[in-house]
Amino acid sequence: MSFELIKDILLATVPLLVIFPSLFAFTTWMERKALARIQNRIGPNKTGIPCTRIGLFGLGQPAADGIKMIFKEDIVPRGADKLFHLLAPILALIPAMLILCFLPLEFPWGKFISGKVQAFMLDSAVIFFFAISGLATLAIFMAGWASRNKYSLLGGMRAVAQMVSYEIPLLLSAVVVVMMVGSLNAKEIADAQTGFNWFVFTPWGLAAFVIFFIAALAETNRSPFDLPEAESEIIAGYFTEYSGFKFALFFLGEYIAMFAISGLAVTLFLGAGDGPFLTSAPWLSVVWFIAKIFGLIAVMIWLRGTLPRLRVDQLMAFAWKFLLPLSIFNILLAGLTHFALDARVAATSDAILYSIHAPHTHSGEANHEHPKPVAGQKEAVMGALHYTDKNWMGAMKWFSKAALKGHAQSRSILGWGFGIWAMSLIVLYVMAKGLDNVSRSTAKPREYLYAE
Amino acid sequence: MTQEITFWVLAVIAVLGALVAVRRRNLIHGVFALMIFFASLSGLFLLLLAEFIAAVQILVYIGAVGILLLFAIMLTERVTGDDARDITSRGSFWGWAAALAVLVVLLLPAIQGADLSQVAKPINPSVKALGQQMMEPYVVTLEVLALLLTAALIGAVAASQGGEKTKEDTDDA
Repeated sequence: MSFELIKDILLATVPLLVIFPSLFAFTTWMERKALARIQNRIGPNKTGIPCTRIGLFGLGQPAADGIKMIFKEDIVPRGADKLFHLLAPILALIPAMLILCFLPLEFPWGKFISGKVQAFMLDSAVIFFFAISGLATLAIFMAGWASRNKYSLLGGMRAVAQMVSYEIPLLLSAVVVVMMVGSLNAKEIADAQTGFNWFVFTPWGLAAFVIFFIAALAETNRSPFDLPEAESEIIAGYFTEYSGFKFALFFLGEYIAMFAISGLAVTLFLGAGDGPFLTSAPWLSVVWFIAKIFGLIAVMIWLRGTLPRLRVDQLMAFAWKFLLPLSIFNILLAGLTHFALDARVAATSDAILYSIHAPHTHSGEANHEHPKPVAGQKEAVMGALHYTDKNWMGAMKWFSKAALKGHAQSRSILGWGFGIWAMSLIVLYVMAKGLDNVSRSTAKPREYLYAE
Repeated sequence: MTQEITFWVLAVIAVLGALVAVRRRNLIHGVFALMIFFASLSGLFLLLLAEFIAAVQILVYIGAVGILLLFAIMLTERVTGDDARDITSRGSFWGWAAALAVLVVLLLPAIQGADLSQVAKPINPSVKALGQQMMEPYVVTLEVLALLLTAALIGAVAASQGGEKTKEDTDDA
């Protein structure tokens, strides 16, 4: 193994191993603060710089928690499967760390090292991401089973059932993006969205993003889908028999998985590292990427503070009767609108481009007269060129400029674009409403009598 | 060099995982050992640059088959896997003899007879090429398989729904 190879591996993986665990520490603080504010409390505010009275808004809390966790007694139940009880927290962390490598995060190393470094450039990164992210649930099951505790076992079984159900809408909503880009490569998906051409701005992308985000909440056992660790029903589920640093490892794994799946949502729908000022400062792409991840995490925290937990039957009904049909319908709709718009715009943009090129082809003729420039012709051509580059948003910007100047063909393209856009949003909304009416779980909680 | 080391590490893990999966009396241990075997197979596929197959290996064999096995075990009485006895090995001699005979009579001649100097052509198994193969020459096969699986799925749902609803059930609903 050459030195260059080792250097590349370290450059690609060490930032992931440094950035995300430190983000984890910050996120726990942010979550506690935010939840406290939602519940009209203050949250951690004492722990700051040691031996002083400087509080720093409780920013020292994660460090204090970490130290506490290390020094706690590690309790293993007598009946537990010792080996699996030890392995489960480690196995929970490994897949979460591994899938971070598939994100198209490019760390620019400036003058020191040429080129950008991404951890793992795979042709099928997206499918690998889903394959490996599912493994974390096995660790949860392992923990639940090894603890030899009925609450733990129930939590583990709930986790597996939930993962199996919600993985399907998660995958199907990502399929839309893969279909449109024509690649499973995370880098290519990110490149297809440069210039604010984010997929979340398209109707099918918006629907897929919402489905993806809900399914991601369920995959990472976040509230309102935190049934595997429901404190009020099964104590803490698979966590119940864990203490000390093993507990901390579970916690870390869960948060890293949250970062990773938010990172995938950012890659697929929110334009990856795309954002303003990228031409003058390319290193900002990492900042934008992590900022977007943080935005999604903030929404997750907000939902946790707002929504009550689902029942098991509601959870299953929601996945199978609502999310699954809606995501399949979304795939169909994406295909239809794409072809409808593509056929229309391609024909018109060809006509626009031809109207410019035509005079040049006939320039040798003697009776050539220079054609009168139509208002907005230049903008329309720019739009057509952007369109052929598959830069939809840019194209639409130019087309709308041309349409404002009275260019008829651009106006028709814009009409088609907005018409299809609005129609598909309406269709998706009606579909979701209809499914919601059909899919509500009909089971009622059992009524207990005093005699029981 | 690096590749050879990786290959041998993965191969040893795969064989050990398979052995543990067969030998352990504890069912859950067996399933997890089987998953280790599947994971190392996936690593071997990755080493051969067949990354799509590697991903599908994890997705299908660990994510679906393994979980299905776990579900099946959870439905049995031995959920906790208390039975720590080893498998009784009465008559194991004949088993070993049969296995050895298969190896010597069937496999070894085939391996020795094979022309090992011939190396497979370097291929570039990209996901795109695979997808186009599925969509162009084999599209009918794919559709038929999909139809079959959908039918199986609907059949499973219908079977699990049970027979006619009793009066009590309809009253509840």
